[in-house]
Amino acid sequence: MTTNDTFLGYQRADDSIGIRNHLLILSSTLYANGVCERVAGTVRDAVTLVHPLGRAQVKPDLRVTFKTLVGHGCHPNAGAVLIVDHFQEQGCSAEEIAHEISKTGKPVEVVNIRAAGGVINATADGTRAAVTMARRLSGQVREPVPMGRLCLGLNCGTSDTTSGPASNSALGVASDRLVEAGGRSVLAELPELMGAEDVLCAHASNEVVGRQIIDAIAAMERRALESGEDIRGSQPTGDNILGGLSTIEEKSLGGALKAGRAPIVGVIDYAESVGKDPGVYLMSTPGHGGESITGIAAGGAQLLVFSTGGGHAIAHPLMPTIKVTGNAESYAAMSDTIELDVSGVLGGTMDLDEAGTLIYDEIRAVASGRRTLCELLREETGFAIHRVGMSL
Amino acid sequence: MNDAVQIYVAHPDDSVATIFGDPIVAGEDVEIGIPDGRSVTVSAHADVARGHKIAIHQIPQGTRVLKYGHVIGRATHDIAAGEHVHVHNVESERGRGDLAVEKP
Repeated sequence: MTTNDTFLGYQRADDSIGIRNHLLILSSTLYANGVCERVAGTVRDAVTLVHPLGRAQVKPDLRVTFKTLVGHGCHPNAGAVLIVDHFQEQGCSAEEIAHEISKTGKPVEVVNIRAAGGVINATADGTRAAVTMARRLSGQVREPVPMGRLCLGLNCGTSDTTSGPASNSALGVASDRLVEAGGRSVLAELPELMGAEDVLCAHASNEVVGRQIIDAIAAMERRALESGEDIRGSQPTGDNILGGLSTIEEKSLGGALKAGRAPIVGVIDYAESVGKDPGVYLMSTPGHGGESITGIAAGGAQLLVFSTGGGHAIAHPLMPTIKVTGNAESYAAMSDTIELDVSGVLGGTMDLDEAGTLIYDEIRAVASGRRTLCELLREETGFAIHRVGMSL
Repeated sequence: MNDAVQIYVAHPDDSVATIFGDPIVAGEDVEIGIPDGRSVTVSAHADVARGHKIAIHQIPQGTRVLKYGHVIGRATHDIAAGEHVHVHNVESERGRGDLAVEKP
């Protein structure tokens, strides 16, 4: 039984609260992906995260990969973790990842393809381990937990000019309500905040945070400047421009509305754990949707609301991703993967508070177990680890 | 409930209004309500698609274009009231790696 102030979640050993109870099959490196997919395809309640990294990367990128994988292993929606490795990595091995994850107190197992004697043996060993862990996980039940225990990711993609006044503003209302209840929100996509610094700094909890906001956005802009090219076409994107957004500043000013009016209390790196204090956190991620929501998930956000203008199919495999649009045409075209339609804000049938409540209620329902459309469709393309360097 | 938003102006200082109702047809008179209570009527110079912007007042080349009460770019051409405002006549001032390149 829940009230407006609580949801039903899974208590974890490290005192975090999960909103799902998955067995995570985590690939430490590209060549372990096949075994991971086979094990996850066999065992119910298993979710796999596969990727092409963890090997032959420049050190700064390898550290980001390691931090992101650890963050997902530690994620409260993963009740237990099976890590699959290929032969021997360094700086991102299954053992190193397992060591970090074990600090949360959750069960962690490792399968090494070379040590197992090949992919068939590794698949068999992994499946047996996964069944044992999943069976144990399946006995855990949800308990009432205050809404303030939620950390909500904020993101937008395929934005158009409805995003600012409708879906982003409504999300800002919901985010403010969550922060007021003691929760946290994470704003990211720094290239898509270029031009909105004044607005963000006005919400900074103190001058130090204000300075950090400006520095973090400037650092992202430097990358664009170093390319020697105008970023228009990449930021804003082709579909942004089709939808009426003319400049990155216009996109950013609309984008910043997602974070509402609550204080911004910290600026954190990509995949860094979100701080414990209530408020809005700014995470340094690119605007790339998959990379951005992946960084936010690694930081510990249990779920994410993704605001879209043109419509979107993105969802993260471990962090339920709720989609909302303020564009009625886009909702009609993409309702397979969009839960919420707030086009009534522009259509005169809904005010911003009602739209914000619609989003907040969905956050509470999804946190308590309601499946998102992308979870039901197994539409989960939104796992992508950020990298800036070349392969070695 | 409120009326549907046909023409959206975010802030009283804005240079542009966004079309959320029916697309604008060239030659049409467009009445724009400003959030401070003012009303401005402009004559549309061209068709403007839904989701796109028109100029509320004249914007001389090189001057700043405002939306949400903040700068969203600079006019690359003289823009008359009622003109379509988009990538062909407004440019960003951010992420301009093309301008950061040293000229020989």
